[in-house]
Formats: sequence, structure tokens, C-alpha cells
Amino acid sequence: MANQLLEVKGVDVSYGDIQVLWDVSLQVEEGTIVALVGANGAGKTTLLKTISGLLHVRKGEILFSGENLHNLKPQEIVDRGVIHVPEGRRLFASLTVKENLRLGAYIPRTRPFFAESLERVFSLFPVLKNRKDQKAGTLSGGEQQMLAIGRAVMAHPKLVMLDEPSLGLSPILVKTIFELIRTLNEQKITILLVEQNVNQALKIAHQAYVLKNGKIVMCGKGCDLLTNEEIIKAYIGERATKRKG
Amino acid sequence: MDVITQVVINGILLGTMYGIAAIGLSLIFGTMRIVFIAQGAVIVFFGYLCYWLFSLLGIDPYLSLIIVIPVALLLGTAFYYVLFKEAAALKDRIGSLLIAVGLMFFLENFMTVVWSPNPRAVVTSYGFVVFHLLGLNLTLTRLIGLLLALLATLGVFLFLNKTLIGTAVRATSEDVEASTLMGISPNRVNAVAMAIGIGLSAVAGINLATTYSFDPVYGFDIAIKALVALTIGGIGTMYGALLGGIFIGIIETMGSYYVGAGWAQAIVFAVFLLTLTLRPYGIFGRSSQKA
Repeated sequence: MANQLLEVKGVDVSYGDIQVLWDVSLQVEEGTIVALVGANGAGKTTLLKTISGLLHVRKGEILFSGENLHNLKPQEIVDRGVIHVPEGRRLFASLTVKENLRLGAYIPRTRPFFAESLERVFSLFPVLKNRKDQKAGTLSGGEQQMLAIGRAVMAHPKLVMLDEPSLGLSPILVKTIFELIRTLNEQKITILLVEQNVNQALKIAHQAYVLKNGKIVMCGKGCDLLTNEEIIKAYIGERATKRKG
Repeated sequence: MDVITQVVINGILLGTMYGIAAIGLSLIFGTMRIVFIAQGAVIVFFGYLCYWLFSLLGIDPYLSLIIVIPVALLLGTAFYYVLFKEAAALKDRIGSLLIAVGLMFFLENFMTVVWSPNPRAVVTSYGFVVFHLLGLNLTLTRLIGLLLALLATLGVFLFLNKTLIGTAVRATSEDVEASTLMGISPNRVNAVAMAIGIGLSAVAGINLATTYSFDPVYGFDIAIKALVALTIGGIGTMYGALLGGIFIGIIETMGSYYVGAGWAQAIVFAVFLLTLTLRPYGIFGRSSQKA
């Protein structure tokens, strides 16, 4: 069996009394891109928040390189190299681009490589270098997404979890972002990608999972799901109307 | 001599004390999302500490800062880890707020027992030195107070902008969840913010002790004025908090000179209400909602 970097096993998660995830299991093989797709409110973001330690597991376990993550604090999970780029980018708008990147390398393990990581980010996104002293809030939507991903790269990640990276971007920028995800993957970063842009996500994903009402209802190779009629009907056909602002 | 100028200058000197208290409130509010109502009681506590060091050990109030500031930073850290850590982890802020209220009443009563309810003041040999400049009367201790307040503000500004943990404090004030995802521990930044808040209280306390007489319950008044300063200046900007404090100081001294001491307080709070009604985020402040 291939080397599983992340294993989610039978996880239940609740917000107070309301259960959001039911017996969710998925595997992310090292070096791959895994897509997690599904409608709004299916629990995709909840799953990412649970993996990064913002939410607690009620039942089941989450293993990263064989180590149990679900009892660790968020900062310990970041320290393991699991980096979550949240939905809506969540940059620190009043901080400069460089300060945002500096906080990406906040964990002591990553600080010695700060200059090196910064060069890596600037070579991936030359536009950020020109804007390094600008406040993050003044960047365009595409630049903000680049900064959000750049901030994750600063942390020397093993696994990057991207929540809706294409949200609110123009079609050309969406294409750029997806190319970039592939570039990151070629640089040996494993990717867990949550997307409502199902078509694009399945195209670049090695493996994909479909989440519906808090349960995994389908999984398979990205290219296989792309031609699955149920998927086309449920997600791809109405993509244009489903996407929000 | 120009009376208005003199009154305004006295207001500025008084207002910087509210201003640095407001900066402390702003930092603590930024990370912990509570109004640290005990701030004024802590300022008075440091006033008494300064008074004790001066009257029992003969240590000059300004020299005592060398000891008092490190003590304040440690005390602030201890306050957080001992009193607030558990409550701060909850989503509901009311627990943390009640702890701050409890701390305020504890300190007030503690100080009443230890130092009696009678007013105290630190009277130094240079306390009555007054400069006459361009027809204005400038008291030496108030000038030193202004200088200390500005230095403390500059120090905090540099800390927040030039150090990694300072940058983390600013980031957390903007978005706690996003900063947690950077691996920033909320406890760490909360403790740092509280340490700085208490450190600023120490500076304000020494300014208080050297320029005014004070009693154990005087702190509540300072805390409320600092809150007003923060509201007018806008939560989230340091210069706004400082300017807000100076503004309150000027209104207070002008009110008591032209209308009467009793009215001065009423006017300060009338301005507070007016600001909140017209500009809920303050005059200089950014909206607390995200762009």
C-alpha cells in the first residue's frame, strides 16, 4: 500500500448539539493532490478545521504520518507541517505583504529558513516581491490568494489544505491558481483541495472525495469522477449558478 | 498670559495619562475582546507602589521605573496565566469580563486595607518646580510625565512593529482564527498584550503619583476616561487612543476651568455619547468589521 500522509478515520464532528460530519474517512497519499468536493454546507470546511485543530473530533481519529493529530493544539499541528489556507484567504489586511509572509514562518522550526522561503515565495509570485511593503488589504483578489498560498509555503509545509482557493476570482486567475497548485505539488507538497469549482478540481486531482450532508458518498480517481454522470449532474452542470461572489 | 493655551496644555498633560491607559485597553481588547476595566485600579496600584518605594525606601519615583516596569510586565503575564487563561479559551467573553471586574474590586479593597482610604501623593523636592515659558506655567513633573508617556508609546509602537511576537499581536487583533492557523498560540499573544497593558499602567501610575493625589477608588474614573478616549480615538489604532486621551484631557480641563469641575465630568460623557451615536467606530478608528 502506498504511503498515506494523512488518514481520517471514521470522524464525527459537531457544533454544539448539531452533528456536521458523520463517520468521515479519507486518505491523502504523500505527493498527491486530493480533491474534496461537494455543495455548500456539506461539511468540507468543517473537515479542514478539524484536521487543523480548530474543531474537536467527537469520534474517530486523524493520523498524520502515523501520528495522532486530534489531541494536538493548532500550533503543534502547524509545527508538523500541516498548513490550512482558510476560505476567503483571511489575510491580515492592515499588515504588509512581508509581515504576512513573516507570520507564515512564525513556528520556530521554520524561522531559520526565513530568507530562503521568502525567495521561494517571491520566485513563485514575482508580483508579491514588488508589493512587499504594501498592506495586504490593498492587493487585488488574485494577489491576495497568491499571498495566502505564499504564507503557507513560508511554513515549510508537507501538506497544504486549500479551502476554495478559486472563490471570487476571474476565470483567467482561476486557471493561474490551479496551475500554481500543480506547481506546488511538483515541489513535493501534498495538497488537500476543497473546491466548488468541481470541474477544475477533479482535472488536477489524483484522488477525489465527494462529501454530501456530512458524509462521504463517493470516492475515486479524479479523472473517473469527472466522467461520472451523477457528479456531472449534481455539481458540474450547475456550477455556473452555484458559485458565489 | 493666554489662559486658553495654558488650559489646553494642562489638558494635554493630563490626557496623555488617559491616552497610555487607552493604548493598554486597546491592546487587551484587540487580542482578548474584553474591556479590561481593572486597568485604572492597576494604575492606582502602581501609584501606591511608587508612593511606598518613595516614602519607605526613599527611591525617586522616576528612578523606580527601572524596577517597576519589569515587575509590571511580569505581573501582567501572571494576571493572564493565573486569572484569565481558562476563561479566555471560551467563546463567550462574559467570564473574562467578570474576572476583570472582580480584579478591579479586589484591588480597590486591597489598597484600602493596605494604604487606607485617605488620599496620598508623592511629594518630591522637585515637585513644585515650574518653568515659565512664553507666559505659560509648565510644571516639571507634568512635563516628565508627558515625556514618559510619549516614550512608552514609542516603545510599544516599535515592539508591535519590529518584533515577530509584536507582529503576531497585531495579526491576532485582526483575526484570531487566521493567526491560530499560522501556529500563533492565542495564550501567548494574550499574555503579551496583557503584559504590555500592565506595563503601560505602571508608567501611568507613576505619572499619577507624581502629579496628583489619589485614593484606592480613583482608578475606576481613569479606566472609564480611558475607555471614552479609546471610543473617541477608535479601537485598533495606537495614535487614535493617544489622541483620544489627549482630547478627553483637554475637554476635562477646559470644562472645569470654564464651567466648573462637576460639569467637566458630565461634558466628557456627553462627548462620549455623542461620538458613539454619530460615529460608532470612533473618530480616528477603522471599522471593526473586516474589509
